[in-house]
Amino acid sequence: MNGHAILYTGVTLAFWSTILIVGICYTIFDLGFRFDVAWFLTETSPFMWASLGIGLAISLSVVGAAWGIYITGSSIIGGGVKAPRIKTKNLVSIIFCEAVAIYGIIMAIVISNMAEVSSEHLLLIMIQKKRYSMFGAGLTVGFSNLFCGICVGIVGSGAALADAQNASLFVKILIVEIFGSAIGLFGVIVAILQTSKVKMGD
Amino acid sequence: MATTGTMHLQRISASLAVLLALFSLLNSAKCDEQVPLILWTSEGVSTSTQAPPAAGHIVEQQQLSSYLEKALNEGAKNVVLFLQDKMSIEDFTMYGGAFGNKQDSVYPNLEVALMSSSSRLVLPAVSWPASNAVIGQLQDQLETSPLYMDPETLSQLRLNASSSALLVFRLPYGIGADLMSAKEILSGNDEVIGQVMSIMKSQSVPYTAIYTALRPSREAASLSMEAGQGGGRSLLQYRGGYRDRERERERQRKVKERPGVYGPVEFKEGDETCILLWAKSLSVKILRSGTWEDHDLTPSTFGEGVSPKLHGSSCDKTKARLVLNYENVLGHRSFKLMFAMSQRHYKVSARRWFTLDAVELEYDGTKATFNGSRHIYAPAEYSYRCESVTNFRWPLLTPRTSKDPSNQWRVSFEDFQIQGFNVSSSEFSYASDCAGFFSPGIWMGLITSLLMVLVLTYGLHMIMQLRTMDRFDDPKGPAISVPQTE
Repeated sequence: MNGHAILYTGVTLAFWSTILIVGICYTIFDLGFRFDVAWFLTETSPFMWASLGIGLAISLSVVGAAWGIYITGSSIIGGGVKAPRIKTKNLVSIIFCEAVAIYGIIMAIVISNMAEVSSEHLLLIMIQKKRYSMFGAGLTVGFSNLFCGICVGIVGSGAALADAQNASLFVKILIVEIFGSAIGLFGVIVAILQTSKVKMGD
Repeated sequence: MATTGTMHLQRISASLAVLLALFSLLNSAKCDEQVPLILWTSEGVSTSTQAPPAAGHIVEQQQLSSYLEKALNEGAKNVVLFLQDKMSIEDFTMYGGAFGNKQDSVYPNLEVALMSSSSRLVLPAVSWPASNAVIGQLQDQLETSPLYMDPETLSQLRLNASSSALLVFRLPYGIGADLMSAKEILSGNDEVIGQVMSIMKSQSVPYTAIYTALRPSREAASLSMEAGQGGGRSLLQYRGGYRDRERERERQRKVKERPGVYGPVEFKEGDETCILLWAKSLSVKILRSGTWEDHDLTPSTFGEGVSPKLHGSSCDKTKARLVLNYENVLGHRSFKLMFAMSQRHYKVSARRWFTLDAVELEYDGTKATFNGSRHIYAPAEYSYRCESVTNFRWPLLTPRTSKDPSNQWRVSFEDFQIQGFNVSSSEFSYASDCAGFFSPGIWMGLITSLLMVLVLTYGLHMIMQLRTMDRFDDPKGPAISVPQTE
């Protein structure tokens, strides 16, 4: 068994056996009523959700951007050995990937501006909407930027190598990259919509 | 030669015995209701030393009388009994110089008496009903009535070696507000012991001396002041600083001293009990002109034979209302404490739940309302129990609005249990506790850790699939040489 198999079987086994044993205990003692998801969602601190949203927004976006840049970058550098003319034009792919990271950091700053400490608000129901909006917005922008970054990276890598072979191909391939980049933009727009409701509601 | 040798041995074994006695007093298991008893005989009386009990053993009445019988049969018939009001092993630990500070010991005369006696018996744990009855036991065994004396009257008494006498010296005890007074009292008692010993020595009459007490001076050694005060555990166990903690400890001690065995407040609709309420303590506080005035409602609500007035209470299938009526609380002629509960079927959980909707204080026409339905709920068949239900310390009760008069009140229940529906035979059903297995803090930590573990797993996966490039490896070709020089 190689390392991967051991790691994944171990983690899965631990997870499912915990769930099974906990479930059996709840059933045996007839304490199923204490399994309360609503209690968990309302009693946990709103700041955990907000912080997770902010963290996920920036970190997942950066993962996507980094992945894209590494894929594109390696191809440009490799192709540039034989065809040095590609190096300047293909930097635009890198910039598309970088934009994804910039979306992420902008959203992280926007969301973190909403995470204020106000004790009287903690009692109001409003805080429920606020914390989940922040968490959801962070999740939205993070995941959409993650996949956008990978997508732009792989397309950019193909574009660089095609450009190295035949200079006329590059411009058409750029259109594919633009579509890929638009996905990230959608994620940012939806996240802004989610958090804007919170601002107006307050 | 032999006698001095045995005297030396006796001296060493005496000091060892005293040390062992003090250490075994330290080591004895639980000192809730036990009183130590020290017995020694005067010099020149040769008796067989009795085997002390095993460590941790609590000597009961029967065993104590057999010890005393053996000691008195072989020993002298004159018994000097030093009876302190209260004594516990902790007194010896704290004031007996047990930590190497012999100079601070308040028992020098006692130690001298023990070391110079010919035989001694130390019972570190005698159950206190037995030690309470020690006068009676000695009276029976000696068949004389006890004479209560002090050192002055003793010096005027003529003792006879052949006839039995029971001389009782009552010694006071007091905990006092500070350490110094307890130390002084014990020191004074030791002085009395010393005087009596010297008088007995001057009379040169063989005697047996016993030093014990009527009652233990300390309650259960550990006041359970552990995990947080609030309903449910929390990440931050303690709020407030040192002074807060001291105040808390005092309050807890006061609450604990109250005997906790009494029935719940029952409201009967006709013949059947409908609502049950129990708490260890209930107090209300009002903020008047900048200071909090508090009133403890526990003695008028709970206790043996206490029946609070429950006019205005009602209960039916879906709503229950318990009204406790008081008089003269914090300057208000009539004061009412109302608990409003309701039960209904909830579709999502497919179960009936009951909630404590409101806790109301009504006084002089004003009504202060606290909402409790957010936190105080349980399935309808069970009761709800919580260690602390308050509106200020890990609040489970919140004022209805920010302008409500309940903002000036502080209500606090300790060890609160309530049931408003499905009550059978005036006993609480299973108590659904407000504290779950995991606190919200623990859940938050678990979720965040799980996220980190997932990220770690993914990262590990990526690293583990890196392979060294072996496309251009040629095992049969020449090895690469890196020249040292240019």
